Amino acid sequence: MARPAEKRNIALCAAAGILMLAAALASLLVGKYPLSLAALLGGDEGQLRVFLTLRLPRTVMAALGGFALGAAGYVFQTVFRNPLAAPDMIGVSSGASAGAAFAILFLPATAASVTGSAFTGGLLAVGVALGLSALAPGGKNASIVLAGIAVHALAQTALMALKLAADPERQLASIEYWIMGSLNAITLGKIPFYCAVCVVALIGVFLLHRQIVLLSVEEGEARMLGVPVGRMRLLVLVLATLVVASVISVTGVISFIGLLAPHIARLLTKDNRLSTLTLSGLMGGVLLLVADILARSAATSELPVSIFTSLIGAPFLLYLILRGNGGERHAA
Amino acid sequence: MKKLTALLLALALTLSLTACGAPAAQSTQTPAPTPASDPTAAPTPEPTKAPEPDPDVITYPVTVTDQLGRDVVIEAQPERLVSGYYISTSLLIALGLEDKLVGVEAKAASRNIYQLSAPEIIDLPSVGTAKEFDLEGCAALEPDLVILPAKLKDVIPSLEELGIAAIAVNPEDEALLEEAVAILGEATNTVAQAQALLAFHNEQLSALTKDLAGLEAPTVYLASNSALLSCAGPEMYQNDLIEQAGGANAAADITDDYWADVSYEQILAWDPDYIILAADAEYTVESVLEDENLQDCAAVKNGSVFQFPNDVEAWDSPVPSAILGSMWLASILHPEYGASNWQDAVTEYYQTFYGFDAVVGAAAGAEG
Repeated sequence: MARPAEKRNIALCAAAGILMLAAALASLLVGKYPLSLAALLGGDEGQLRVFLTLRLPRTVMAALGGFALGAAGYVFQTVFRNPLAAPDMIGVSSGASAGAAFAILFLPATAASVTGSAFTGGLLAVGVALGLSALAPGGKNASIVLAGIAVHALAQTALMALKLAADPERQLASIEYWIMGSLNAITLGKIPFYCAVCVVALIGVFLLHRQIVLLSVEEGEARMLGVPVGRMRLLVLVLATLVVASVISVTGVISFIGLLAPHIARLLTKDNRLSTLTLSGLMGGVLLLVADILARSAATSELPVSIFTSLIGAPFLLYLILRGNGGERHAA
Repeated sequence: MKKLTALLLALALTLSLTACGAPAAQSTQTPAPTPASDPTAAPTPEPTKAPEPDPDVITYPVTVTDQLGRDVVIEAQPERLVSGYYISTSLLIALGLEDKLVGVEAKAASRNIYQLSAPEIIDLPSVGTAKEFDLEGCAALEPDLVILPAKLKDVIPSLEELGIAAIAVNPEDEALLEEAVAILGEATNTVAQAQALLAFHNEQLSALTKDLAGLEAPTVYLASNSALLSCAGPEMYQNDLIEQAGGANAAADITDDYWADVSYEQILAWDPDYIILAADAEYTVESVLEDENLQDCAAVKNGSVFQFPNDVEAWDSPVPSAILGSMWLASILHPEYGASNWQDAVTEYYQTFYGFDAVVGAAAGAEG
């Protein structure tokens, strides 16, 4: 890769970073409660409390969540060498949905129980998928994907059974809203643990960025380059799963960012390196921040955030594709 | 949209009823039936001895227009009834038809009102839920008439093919509820009882309106069964309920026509005087009072968080006894209105229409 391209990519990342900061700032300023800068700086207690326990956590969750989903999407697409790979390929979203539905039906109705159960469900589904694939001879990508599809189907079946058993007026509505994804119920008390897990796992992903790229080449080649393919792939997938599960267990399923952000990043950078990973995250962050601002202000009530991630993201992706200089460069 | 549909349905009903010479349906707008033929005076009309047609007696076959706008011909007085919806089941009990029921909706055992008024209903075969209707099971009961919620409209063509008369009811607001009462009264030849039910409702409502006249309306946030951060907007039945009880819906500027999701910020910005939880909510008054995100909200600061009582029925939904919900809420929002009005009405209502003594807490859900 020539130097000018690298410089260009750094500039791209910086621009995306600034865009994300601007979106975060806007997110801090928009909301139903009339916060005023003067009152906040003047130390009005009520205003400060709303800002610190509601507005700020929501912005942090949108920024971190979007970044995490974008980066994790990049990891899944790269490792599986599949432009359509998404976190749900190995069952994390459907597992988390089934976990949340289980909690809504059977556990005491607290936010913590739903979040915890969703997190457990997501990890459990991926654990089963990876465990099953390990039983298959060879341990190739294909067997992980197949095991993932099987677990995904099983989790969907469990979810359907839970929905069927749900009381249509209370529980079914809660399950549906959870699956649609929203940041309206984010409060300070809810997020520290999941944010910490997410950040740690993200750091792991970034430290392993070279190995992730190597996993995307032919297995034999990767082995020759000194990568313990099987174990490395397992580690990377577990980290990416933790990243995704920690976000969606708090927000509910947020669709499309994991698929969209890496493609946008790749079409912009035209390579498959650290800059693409970073840009995937930043684009994801921008997408989710803007989508959440719209979700809370487009109508008088809160709307599911996924509507807007797709609504903003899809046209942008189409524009990049139609501009014509993006190639099918997902495989390094 | 909902209101328009309601209006059209009401119009269609009125037209069809006048056309076939039956008593005019309860108008959706006028508050009380004409006092000239006081329905409470003759609760059990004798069809045989009337030389000229008694407006309270239905001559079959009769055509009724249901709440999907369908004309349904009922050939003879139905003797075997199936109800696939708890509101219509409760209504049929109030009309004194519990002995004619041969099948009811699923989970009947969870309804207090059945336990108290007609426990035999609980053991009747279930015809399914609003999600999954058991068509074969229903047909096996050989009903003369099936009453379904409008939600189950997909089932109706199949029932028609089987030659079973089906009426869809859609009691989503007060006018529609009144209309549903009138439709069922006509379809089952219980017009007088249906009018008595409506008369009770209208009398209590006008008394309530009079008692609350001139009182200041506190703002009320009505949280749904599913979550605190989900509330009733102005298009919902629950909005009428709040207004009848002399309150103002805090969420009046919401445009959703169903339970709407909101954020804590939104609640704090509205700063309602009262937070009222739906009767079947699984979260508690205590959890709301202790919610650290709401400590600056007036309702929480003043301990003005209550849950609709659910001793007999969920009075926050458009059940036939819905007026009792408005009266309960009035007693909470306006202490000077007094809980005794509400309790007396509860006693009278359930004795008259269901034949049992209702026992309700003085102010269920009240915070100490």
